[in-house]
Amino acid sequence: MNQIDIKSTEYPYLLKQIKDPPETLYYRGEWNPEIFKQTLSVVGSRKMTRYGEAITKEIVTDTASAGITIVSGFMYGIDAQAHEGALNASGHTIAVMPCGIDRIHPEYQMELYKKIEKDKGLILSEYPGETPPALWTYPRRNRIIAGLSPVLLVIEAGLKSGALITARIAQKYNKKIFAVPGPLTSSVSEGTSLLIKEGASIFTKSDDLLSEFGIGITGKTKNKKQASNLNPSQRKIMELLSRQPMGIDEIIRILNKPTSKVGADLTFLSLKKMISLHDGKYSISRNRSAGNRIC
Amino acid sequence: MLIKVTSVSFSGLTTIKIDVEVNIADKGLPAFDLVGLPNKAVAESRERVRTALVNSGITFPMRRITVNLAPGDVPKNGAFYDLPIAVGILSGIEGFEIPVDSLFFGELSLDGSLRHTKGALLAALFARENNFTSIFVPQQSANEASVVQGINVYPVENINQISMHINSHIEIFPTVYQLQESLKSDPADFDMSEVMGQEQAKRALEIAAAGGHNVLMIGSPGSGKTMLARALPGIMPMLTEEESLEVTRIYSSAGNIPPGGSLIVKRPFRSPHHIISQAGLVGGGTHPQPGEISLAHRGILFLDEFNEFPRSVIEALRQPIEDGKLTISRSLERVTYPSRFILIAAANPCPCGFLNDETKECICSKREILRYRKKLSGPILDRIDLHVDVPVVDIKKLAGGMSDSKEKETSLQVRKRITAARRIQEKRYRNELIHTNSEMKNRQIKEYITMSTASRNMLIEAADTFQLSARSYLKVIKLAQTIADLDHGSNINEMHIAEALQYRPRLPE
Repeated sequence: MNQIDIKSTEYPYLLKQIKDPPETLYYRGEWNPEIFKQTLSVVGSRKMTRYGEAITKEIVTDTASAGITIVSGFMYGIDAQAHEGALNASGHTIAVMPCGIDRIHPEYQMELYKKIEKDKGLILSEYPGETPPALWTYPRRNRIIAGLSPVLLVIEAGLKSGALITARIAQKYNKKIFAVPGPLTSSVSEGTSLLIKEGASIFTKSDDLLSEFGIGITGKTKNKKQASNLNPSQRKIMELLSRQPMGIDEIIRILNKPTSKVGADLTFLSLKKMISLHDGKYSISRNRSAGNRIC
Repeated sequence: MLIKVTSVSFSGLTTIKIDVEVNIADKGLPAFDLVGLPNKAVAESRERVRTALVNSGITFPMRRITVNLAPGDVPKNGAFYDLPIAVGILSGIEGFEIPVDSLFFGELSLDGSLRHTKGALLAALFARENNFTSIFVPQQSANEASVVQGINVYPVENINQISMHINSHIEIFPTVYQLQESLKSDPADFDMSEVMGQEQAKRALEIAAAGGHNVLMIGSPGSGKTMLARALPGIMPMLTEEESLEVTRIYSSAGNIPPGGSLIVKRPFRSPHHIISQAGLVGGGTHPQPGEISLAHRGILFLDEFNEFPRSVIEALRQPIEDGKLTISRSLERVTYPSRFILIAAANPCPCGFLNDETKECICSKREILRYRKKLSGPILDRIDLHVDVPVVDIKKLAGGMSDSKEKETSLQVRKRITAARRIQEKRYRNELIHTNSEMKNRQIKEYITMSTASRNMLIEAADTFQLSARSYLKVIKLAQTIADLDHGSNINEMHIAEALQYRPRLPE
């Protein structure tokens, strides 16, 4: 049976410190105490925006590749993005489930579930077997997420969201909380804005987080050489997109160029992975030049 | 006394000769019998013929009349045996000779006049192919039949008129084919220049029209998918004479040509609603009738709310899209209808319809969106070459933008380019049975398509980056060839490939 008792020496130290730690932790994957050494808990909205997705990718890539384990809740949206990002950066990740350890929830993320197990990640739960999730198991799960790490990062949260509940729990546990600022017009920025107002640390770059873990500035090399082999209209497109994401029709309208030409340019830029398409709009790829604000 | 009159019978688009034998016996009880596998419509012919003759002032003979439709083992259906039967009986009464090498075809009204009858064009075509010199059809169907040159199409108004014509008391003059003026008018409901924004979607439709590619448009309600589709006929090249005849044959067979109507010169635009049955879409019935896909032959089949269509109906599209024809097999008959159309499918991006919409928030969960998109996935998507987003157009942005500085192209201008591209394709495939790039099979791609090494390398790189399937890879090549043809028929270069890649299928994120 894959379980760890609270009396075990391998029981995560930080989790033991909270008021009501789970008596037993069930897990899937390979138990390796090393994985709990440096952990960052990441929570956020299920209704992830494109902005949230890009930011999550960037932060998780930077932290996971620096050896920090990403802890999250396996829900779709920010959670899933965080797990995926960590795995893609060849880092470690822990998914804390609100249901029995043998149940995949939500079930269409089976691929991600298997990948976490396979790539030396951990699936954790305080419930055995096929216990179904219930309304009250989600906040219980959230306390584990908050308890496992010294730092909690909130990326996009509504005013009534699980992410905000987790943040509240983390406040009680006296954890360091980082909130990612978002556009004030977005409903999933209201929670993070509130946290910042109340005194949470504002996240502006990955180094903010890394220094929390005592890891120095990463000193990424800037990626400028690729801009030189672009033709004038491609450069113009890059310039437009650096201001805000745009759909192809809008680009065509502003550049006043034939559709065929703009379409071809966009494909060239996509192939060079300089831009990417999300929700019908092109934007500058961030993960290519992670760490640099503006390309 | 035995009289023989010649008529026809239809099975789908094929026509066979039927001998209508009328025997008026001098002995035996008075009766009027009809044999030779008639269906209900044919059997009721007796009542129509008797009443029509009486109402035309002719004394119906009180003798034993037997009508046989030979060959006797072919099922007969339709109401058009009225005229040959009536002419046979008249000949018996009045003793005139049936004109040689003539076909008779038409449904009688009880007052003795003839009604518009479906299939007149098919009958006339059969007459010419089998060396008949004339065909007698109802006056209202004469325009349709007169499309066929080289035979005399006699428009018949009523029983008395044809009897006097055959007796040489009066003369009916054969109809001369006239193209109806109204058909020369604008073929589309909208002009492309009326469509605001949607540059990429317009370009996609241009490519589709040029190469015969199928299109999937995904966009929120009100973004203009329907308007775009309705503007498409305006940029399609005009039907050639041969194509026009193909289309008219199907319409004639389905009875879709109005009284007095003639050759169909507009490209068909069919947009069935999503509650359509499978038989309604692909055709069916005991005597199989053409369905929407055949009525869309050489034209456009527009399926709005594509993923609201039942799965079985969508899957039925596969064979016709691949082969350009469809065989419907029933116990009594097996018929093949052509169905070479451009499929324009339109769908919402998610169940509520407002995913990625800037004006309204989407209320669907990711799971709902995935399930919704799953309905679209599968083999049918594999047969759609162009995938294009149709975003909602922000009117303010359009008004304030630079759209005014750019002269908008009219449908006529676009059509010119498309016609040129089609001509290039026809020349390329002159030794093949295909007409457009979209119809190419693997062998033809190998044989006819040349591209630079740089283009090929780029395509291979793209296949890797964008995770294209083998089929998608070939689709990109076909599309690139059409784009190259629109670009005056040069070989495929990197620009063409790059543009074609814009229309690759996009998986839901």
